[in-house]
Amino acid sequence: MSTLLVWKEQLQKIYAKYSTYIMKALQFVLGLCVFGLINSNIGFMKAASSILCTVGLSVVCAFLPLVVMVIAATVLVLLHFYALSMPIALVSLVIFLIMYIFYFRFTPKKAWLVVLTPVAFALKVPFVIPVAFGLLGTPIWVLPAAFGTIAYYMIHFVKVSSSAYKGADAKSLVEGLMAFTKQSLNNKEMWVMVLAVSISILLVYAIRTRSIDHSWKIASAVGAVAAIVVGTAGNIAMNVHLSYVLLTVSGVAAMLAGLILEFLFFSVNYARTERMQFEDDEYYYYVKAVPKVGVSAPEVSVKHINERKEQADSQETVVIDSQDVKQAVEVKKRPPQKRRPAPKPRNQVRKVDHARAADEILLTRSLTRELGLENLEDELNK
Amino acid sequence: MLDKNRIRLMTKMAQYEKSLAPEDLKISSYYKKDYASMNTLITVIWITIGYALAAGLVVLCNVDALLKDLTMTKMFIIIAVAVGAYIILLVVYCVCASSFYKSKHNKAKQRVKMYYRDLSRLGKMYMKEKN
Repeated sequence: MSTLLVWKEQLQKIYAKYSTYIMKALQFVLGLCVFGLINSNIGFMKAASSILCTVGLSVVCAFLPLVVMVIAATVLVLLHFYALSMPIALVSLVIFLIMYIFYFRFTPKKAWLVVLTPVAFALKVPFVIPVAFGLLGTPIWVLPAAFGTIAYYMIHFVKVSSSAYKGADAKSLVEGLMAFTKQSLNNKEMWVMVLAVSISILLVYAIRTRSIDHSWKIASAVGAVAAIVVGTAGNIAMNVHLSYVLLTVSGVAAMLAGLILEFLFFSVNYARTERMQFEDDEYYYYVKAVPKVGVSAPEVSVKHINERKEQADSQETVVIDSQDVKQAVEVKKRPPQKRRPAPKPRNQVRKVDHARAADEILLTRSLTRELGLENLEDELNK
Repeated sequence: MLDKNRIRLMTKMAQYEKSLAPEDLKISSYYKKDYASMNTLITVIWITIGYALAAGLVVLCNVDALLKDLTMTKMFIIIAVAVGAYIILLVVYCVCASSFYKSKHNKAKQRVKMYYRDLSRLGKMYMKEKN
């Protein structure tokens, strides 16, 4: 666990250092996912469904605010629908307009949330969205999740029944309009999933904001189970054909996503929880303080211990002075004299291994006692 | 000479000027009541358009069922339900929009106030340095 925390700390440091580039890269990846999924699923307009267009749009959107990506994705979807059939494009335009009027007018900066939901649905992990939104957001995030679900099912429906709507002439325009509206809005599977996602987000948010221990884990588990239960109930009661494997796998993925999000955004140590009670003139306070888990990443410092040696080795020719050699020989001939140790510089801080030094002192003392060298040392000192 | 506090203050102000200042200055040029009323009115217009579009889709979706055995009473009931739903939606959105825009105005005003305070602090710092 501590290793993971160290990694998290290091990741945070890297993010702090390169946040601009990381955000652009993530935006680019999200753009690739969104435009790639749109073009691969409903690429009815050949010019707009090319890889060049996907990559180009992703690159452009990476350098612009996220709301531009939402607008670009909407326009791309409408273009593809228009290439397939006029009524589909009209109905889709009206649905997108309703989404804008009832929600995005108020929080345009949160519009990108609606893009994440279809991506999660396309990746077959739809229940990750309610758990993630419930853990990180507010109850109002139900709206982008619901709109995203509707948008996904609309695209999915067009993909499945594209042949039926191809090449509608003026006569069949109204008929096509009515048929598409009826079939897309009466899609029971879509409403079951909207209900599952909405209930799950509200449950996750309600549990996550409680002051109970492990609230994030409980919220993730409850949210995932609630979404599975609603999906299953919809299957039974409304005769919807949601795959049970998909529901289960998605639920497990949602729980895992919840754990990862908890680790990243809410790592606390419940074992060291403190409860306090105090009062002032007006209130009694019951405080529960849960300490955060914090591990500082170790800083690696490289110490060059062979620097001087290398310098010496690098010299090919060593010039020896004859006077120095003579002096060295004389010093060797002289009897050894006691020298006073050179005073250590005051400002220099030496790192001492205290444990090792203590062991050495104790060993020396015990050996001195055992060998009877104490008296000898005293005599020598005298 | 470089003053750390002054640089910090200037960075904070530049960040604000780049991100929120243009909108905040525009919002704070209105009185709170005027700003909230104007935006609530705009919301009413948008909600009316949105409701008309949504109602149109619902009608298009259930046109057969609505036109089947259509009598005056049935038509009146349908219109009453539609108008009732519209009024409920309008009231809910007006209340929400009013409180939303009031809080938006409050926050913007607060930020602008802080910005002007920082601006005067910066001016004082310069004066102090000159003297």
